[in-house]
Amino acid sequence: MKLVIKNLKKSFDKKQVLKDINFEFEKGKIYGLLGRNGAGKTTLFNCLNEDLEIDSGKFFIEEDGKQRKMEADDIGYVLSTPNVPEFLTGREFLKFFIDINKKRIKKEKTIDEYFDFMKIENEDRDRLLKDYSHGMKNKMQMLVNIIASPNVLLLDEPLTSFDVVVAEEMKQMLKEIKKDHIIIFSTHIMELALDLCDDIVILNKGLLEEIDKNNLDNEHLKNKIIDALKEEE
Amino acid sequence: MLKTFITSFKLQNTYRVNSIIYSIKQLPVVKRILPNSLYKSRGLKIFANIISALWELTSVFIGKIIYIASMIFMALSLYNTNSSDTFIHLFVFLTLAGGVLNTYMLNPTKDKYYAIILMNINAREYGLSNYYYQLLKLIVGFLPFTIMFGMIANVPLWVQLILPFFILSVKLIVMNYCIYNFKKTNKASNENLPNKFVWSFIGICLLLGYGLPAIGITINSTIFLFICIISIILGIYSLIKIHSFKDYKKMYKKILTESNVYMQEKNTGTQAMKNVSLNQIELDKRYTSNKFGFAYFHELFVKRHRKILTTAVKKQSLVILALIVAMIIGINVNSEFKAKTNEVLLVYLPYFVFIMYIINRSSSVTQAMFMNCDHSMLTYRIYRTPKVILGIFKERLKTLIVINLLPAFLIGGGLALLLYLSGGTDNPLNYVILFVSIISMSIFFSVHYLVMYYLLQPYNVSTEIKSSTYKVVQGLTYLVSWYMIQIRMPIFSFGIATIIFCIAYSLISLFIAYKFAPKTFKLRI
Repeated sequence: MKLVIKNLKKSFDKKQVLKDINFEFEKGKIYGLLGRNGAGKTTLFNCLNEDLEIDSGKFFIEEDGKQRKMEADDIGYVLSTPNVPEFLTGREFLKFFIDINKKRIKKEKTIDEYFDFMKIENEDRDRLLKDYSHGMKNKMQMLVNIIASPNVLLLDEPLTSFDVVVAEEMKQMLKEIKKDHIIIFSTHIMELALDLCDDIVILNKGLLEEIDKNNLDNEHLKNKIIDALKEEE
Repeated sequence: MLKTFITSFKLQNTYRVNSIIYSIKQLPVVKRILPNSLYKSRGLKIFANIISALWELTSVFIGKIIYIASMIFMALSLYNTNSSDTFIHLFVFLTLAGGVLNTYMLNPTKDKYYAIILMNINAREYGLSNYYYQLLKLIVGFLPFTIMFGMIANVPLWVQLILPFFILSVKLIVMNYCIYNFKKTNKASNENLPNKFVWSFIGICLLLGYGLPAIGITINSTIFLFICIISIILGIYSLIKIHSFKDYKKMYKKILTESNVYMQEKNTGTQAMKNVSLNQIELDKRYTSNKFGFAYFHELFVKRHRKILTTAVKKQSLVILALIVAMIIGINVNSEFKAKTNEVLLVYLPYFVFIMYIINRSSSVTQAMFMNCDHSMLTYRIYRTPKVILGIFKERLKTLIVINLLPAFLIGGGLALLLYLSGGTDNPLNYVILFVSIISMSIFFSVHYLVMYYLLQPYNVSTEIKSSTYKVVQGLTYLVSWYMIQIRMPIFSFGIATIIFCIAYSLISLFIAYKFAPKTFKLRI
């Protein structure tokens, strides 16, 4: 399975943020999406999540050689700022999500098993989400996006709000689940991208390009990425 | 200090100009034509600057004329006392109340926050120079109207001339007291959140101000002269103290907190507003739900928001019930009241459009729906699938209609009952039409607000209202409802027209919502 983007363009007023995006993301890999501030990473995600209408181009899922539209079920999007319905408890939120995704969940676990998987403590499970910390809300957001097991997972700076221990747990968790998904992971932190991601993709000047690792060691790769990002038109 | 003042004035002007351009850009059709580079456009800047200057100029006078005309001048006709003395009397007590309510300097406004906290402008120079400017505006703004209204009320000329300086002195004395208090206790409070002492003081001032003339007691110009001399002497002393005070920065840090500054704009939807909404959530372990999927989700939403949903409606209903009972007693006791009630009921049905508009909870409920629920949920792609959107829409529609029906039943039933008790009507169908039209108005408003919310979803990620169309629709709803107040029509014709309109509107708008909501109901980015 692949996520294919072809000639995607998006402008705001006269500013062309995404000039001509062409890329194929494959299942089983974690892609690190790097770009400078304001390069358009979130815009790209918003377009794929259909929060924003694209100006032209298309994107679709290609499965067994056949193309099809990317449906709502196909996509999970974890935002950098956690968004959870604050009037529910953690348990109720999970129940709601399991309810509306009933048909798609292949191996349904109990709610507590999901909590265990995400390492959310017993005492926190029945508290209102509005009283959760920033990091805990992020965990919940990640969890509900994983439960439905969408084909494509978009993660926008997801680990920055976690403490070091949780960030490590999340990294392990992403590595565990990557075989069934296309994971695109946007970040500013290069070390994280190099450590976690199978491929590095940079968004620069409205274009998306893969950095060829070419057996480079980390230090050389880093320099190559920085050079690419610094490049003037 | 003059330099600081000019800087701050320029700063204030810049964001005023930008706000003007921003609002121009928000207009429905215009926004498509105008580019972002508008903020650079010279011609437009000059135009906005002129508006800004005109605004500054009118702001000097407009509030003052309204204040003197409505609070003092119009009240004069209520009393039999000497108009000059009453004028002075009201002026003195209202000035005392106003003095503690608004000092200018301690009002946590956004321009102070930008300048002192964000841009680190010298707090003392900023605070003082702007304070003096405000005081100057006060004198210039009040003088023409104390003279004008004073002349009409036969107030002696010297009083007309000195009144603005009396206000000035009171403001200075209060301000000096606040500074004195800050030095002693290290506390400075937000003057927009007066404590109970301040409220009691204001209450006493209003009571003495408006109450004493009613029993024939007023201050006369001799007493006023005495009060005035003392105030002005204390005022000059205060001015010296205020001017020599050094710790403005420390004091402003206490006042210009984010919550104080942004509290002022509850209605524009900022983070503070989100916090207000969050406080409406109550967790009560007894309330759970046995439902499934979105019915489960919605039921919990309703139960956790009892404060703004059911509780508010119950209170409303109690008030309505009490009014109806009072009316029934009135009808039975006084035959003139009875005849009048009957007469009014037969032609005042249009008035109830406005009342139904006022009591309908849907506007604040849809706001809470967004703040506490959809704001986060709309980021989940699955929540935006047509099935989920329409499923939750249906649940919400049911809840909104049912919640608003309770007061509607009471009003509809109450009116029919009052009509009967006050002498009845020739056409018995009027009872039914009265009842049904009130119910349909209630349903109309519930449907209207929810459909508008789903079709226009006006909020963006940071919970600001971004749709000017939504604001226009809200404004129109108000205007139409308000306009109905002026109309007198017999129950029969107006009632039938209302019922047909409400049913037709609800059916059409629900059809449109079903068709388009899956496309329109998303976060504005």
